Amino acid sequence: MRNHNVTIGIFIVSGLALFTLVLFTIGNEHKAFSPHVDLHTEFANISGLTKGSDVQVAGFDAGEIADIEVPKSPSGRFRLVLRIDQRLNPLVRTDSLVTVDSEGIVGDKFVQIHGGSANAREAAASTTLPSKEPLSLADLLESSNDLINGANGTMKGVQGKLDGTLDAATKTINNANDLIVGIKQGKGTVGMLLRDQTTATEIQQAVANGEQATVSVKQASASLKHASGQADALVSDFASRGLGGKVDQTLLSARGAAGNLDSISGQLHQTMTEALGEDGRGVDAGGNIQQSLSNLTETTGNMAADTEALKHEFFFKGFFKHRGYYSLADLDPTTYRNDRVFTNPDNGRAWLEAARLFEQTSNGQERLTTEGKLQIEEAIAELGDGALNGPLVIEGYSSQSDSGTQLAASHSRALLVLHYIHARYQVDLRNIGAVALRNTPPPGVHKETWDGVCIMALKASS
Amino acid sequence: MSSENSVTLHGVSKSFGEKQVLDNVSFSVGRGEAICVLGRSGTGKSVTLKLILALLKPDAGNIRIGDDEITQLEGQELSRVRRRMGFLFQSGALFDSLSLHDNLALPLRRLTKKSKDEIEEIIDRVLGQVELAGDKHKMPRELSGGMQKRAGLARALVFEPETLLVDEPSSGLDRITASEIDDLLLDQKVRRGSAMIIVTHDLHGARRVGDRFAVLDKGRLAGLGRPQDLEKHENETVRRLVGG
Amino acid sequence: MIGIFDFVGAVGLFGLRVIGSVFRIPFELEQIWRHIGEAGVRSLALVLSAGLALGVVMTLHTRGALVMFGATAMIPKLQSLGFFVEIGPLVAALLVAGRVGAGNGAVLADMRATEQIDAIEALSMDSFKFLVVPRVVACVIALPLLTVFMDFCGILGGYLSEYTLSHISLHLYLTRAFQGMQWSNFVPPTLKALVFGFIIGTISCFFGYTTNEGAEGVGRAATSSVVVSSLLIILADVILVKIIFLTFPGSAT
Repeated sequence: MRNHNVTIGIFIVSGLALFTLVLFTIGNEHKAFSPHVDLHTEFANISGLTKGSDVQVAGFDAGEIADIEVPKSPSGRFRLVLRIDQRLNPLVRTDSLVTVDSEGIVGDKFVQIHGGSANAREAAASTTLPSKEPLSLADLLESSNDLINGANGTMKGVQGKLDGTLDAATKTINNANDLIVGIKQGKGTVGMLLRDQTTATEIQQAVANGEQATVSVKQASASLKHASGQADALVSDFASRGLGGKVDQTLLSARGAAGNLDSISGQLHQTMTEALGEDGRGVDAGGNIQQSLSNLTETTGNMAADTEALKHEFFFKGFFKHRGYYSLADLDPTTYRNDRVFTNPDNGRAWLEAARLFEQTSNGQERLTTEGKLQIEEAIAELGDGALNGPLVIEGYSSQSDSGTQLAASHSRALLVLHYIHARYQVDLRNIGAVALRNTPPPGVHKETWDGVCIMALKASS
Repeated sequence: MSSENSVTLHGVSKSFGEKQVLDNVSFSVGRGEAICVLGRSGTGKSVTLKLILALLKPDAGNIRIGDDEITQLEGQELSRVRRRMGFLFQSGALFDSLSLHDNLALPLRRLTKKSKDEIEEIIDRVLGQVELAGDKHKMPRELSGGMQKRAGLARALVFEPETLLVDEPSSGLDRITASEIDDLLLDQKVRRGSAMIIVTHDLHGARRVGDRFAVLDKGRLAGLGRPQDLEKHENETVRRLVGG
Repeated sequence: MIGIFDFVGAVGLFGLRVIGSVFRIPFELEQIWRHIGEAGVRSLALVLSAGLALGVVMTLHTRGALVMFGATAMIPKLQSLGFFVEIGPLVAALLVAGRVGAGNGAVLADMRATEQIDAIEALSMDSFKFLVVPRVVACVIALPLLTVFMDFCGILGGYLSEYTLSHISLHLYLTRAFQGMQWSNFVPPTLKALVFGFIIGTISCFFGYTTNEGAEGVGRAATSSVVVSSLLIILADVILVKIIFLTFPGSAT
């Protein structure tokens, strides 16, 4: 009997103890037993908050909503009594903003009191804090949906147009390439070729194609611009609400891409105009076409890259970065000399002398000699198997006396080699670039001056 | 005690639903007198006992215990009157969750202000009377039928009742055991001067203990009187029940 | 149909009689204590093991769904809320209805059949006060306690199950389990068990105390006790939950 009584006693006492324990645990959760401070705020829409909903101060669980006063008229606002732990009171200033947040997509709604500015007064009990009306998730989803739909449509348009443009541009380049190959293979003089009716028509056709391509690119860029304008507005809306950082970034990238396209199309246009303008002056036209062609190939390479990006992912963040460099077409000598990527001593380099590479033509231009071509091939072979897959930069050097000629000659030398490599090995144009470095190699390669060309294989970027 | 009769029934009727169990039954029992209620099964013999103890309420008629009209009493008053009666149930009706000792101690502890020692003394005395003194720590299921009945009698005696109501004292018992119970009842009647109402089928026992017989037939009191008188009763059922 | 109303009326009166008798002397504290032992202590092992098993099972079930939504942090809270608000009181009540309800029904019906109840009356004791009231009161007292034990075991089971899957620390589990928990999520549902206890005690005693059909009535009283009290517990739960929602709007989460 005595034992029995003890068992019953233990049962009752431990049951009550458990009950009390839970009671106190819940009480602690609500800071019911710690000193607290009541603050006020007002909302026109409390988006589902109830008495007892959590209150956080700067993300720290601080207390709960002690009471909600219902407004008496539609113009009135709900008055919330926020009961927070006194220890957190110093964080709350008279200018602390109160917002309604939610714990993830399916979580509870809670009140967030943002930390105020340090020079504002500490909010005393019963202070009414300023509030920002909540943005409902539904609104947010709707607007981002619109944005994505708009962007999607634009992208499809751009893709279609760019595809067309690219085809046209490629065709142009192929035409021009044929011409150049013709010239190089010595089928008559350049003047003759240019006077020849068929060739002239071909060139004109090529130019016309190029122009058409330009127009298409312009249209594409216009609609992209429109899209980016639209996106801009949304971006600023998002930014003002402090939301959608990722979307923001994406839209910035989109804007960048659009700008890129814009400049590309400008370049293309210029190239075409140049080519057209020099039509009459036979001798220069060859060089010009060559020049235009290299511009065009670079441009097309860039465009192809951009288009690939646009085709494959909407969030292009970091696309170019992944390739380890920005765009080989954008290489300017100053940046080039100072960029560690290019001056890295680990990069493979093959130094080729001008005397063996080039010979003068009758019009004072340079061209590759047969020996030079062999040398290039040897150099490429020496650079290793990976050289043709990885990025290649052709540095042009010239030791001419005046700086103007130096630049022009180093530029044209680099391009000559570039085209040869491209034609010989079908190297991806996105992976090959040319830079005119006058007569001075970049620091760190242990060469004071150079006259000729250096083929540099970038070490795989880390 | 102003009335010479311990229990008086007057015009008592009781029915369960359609079935009339007792119809206008009247009899009384005086102190030191034992009356045996005989009748065929289902003629309301046990009901008569429960009516007397106010475990059931009669549809009509009066039941007086001494000077108290028990049908009108409730609560404390009823409790006071009931305590003057002891009830020996057919099967003993011991509380199976309590030991024999606790079965007897329970009413004493709850209803009297007696000290622990006094209670122990009473228990020992009544258990001695029914010859169960050595079994007081046994549980009811450990007792035989006869022992259970004697234990039930012991419990009925703890308040030293003026009136003893006995329901089928010999049912389920062999003749010898039954006559032991009869001896105990006789002893009570003679030594303590208790009034007794005994419901029974056992004519042998009834003739030993009972002074008068009350014969119930179809709910009516068919005959009332000394056994030898009833043997010559005009009603055949009465004659047969009394064994004439 | 009339039979149902007859039954409802009889049970209602019986319940009122219980309530009326509780506050009259004698208070039968000894009997109440004894029956807390019967109804509470002896049901404890049943409730603890059932709670533990249910806790494990419930986490196994809810986990999959919550993981799908990436809401694994919600598992402890769902567990604690589930047990505090509903599973604890309801399952504890149903278990007790099965064990104690059947016991009360059978014991009282047997006492009626063997005239023990009459014997108590014959000894000038109030059999209702002596047999029925302590049983009901013991159920009312024991069930909230058993509910708390059930809650405890449910959360423990949930923790064990979650621990084997994610090695979460007990402290983090408990922190999450009680995060945002309100008193209204715990106190009213636990007090709900008082009503369940009253239902179990009253219904089982009603069948036991009023049956007078001999030995065969004993089994029937036990069966009826369990069936009717289980059913009434669930029906009462519907009403009680609604009342809790109305009284504590915050708990309707």
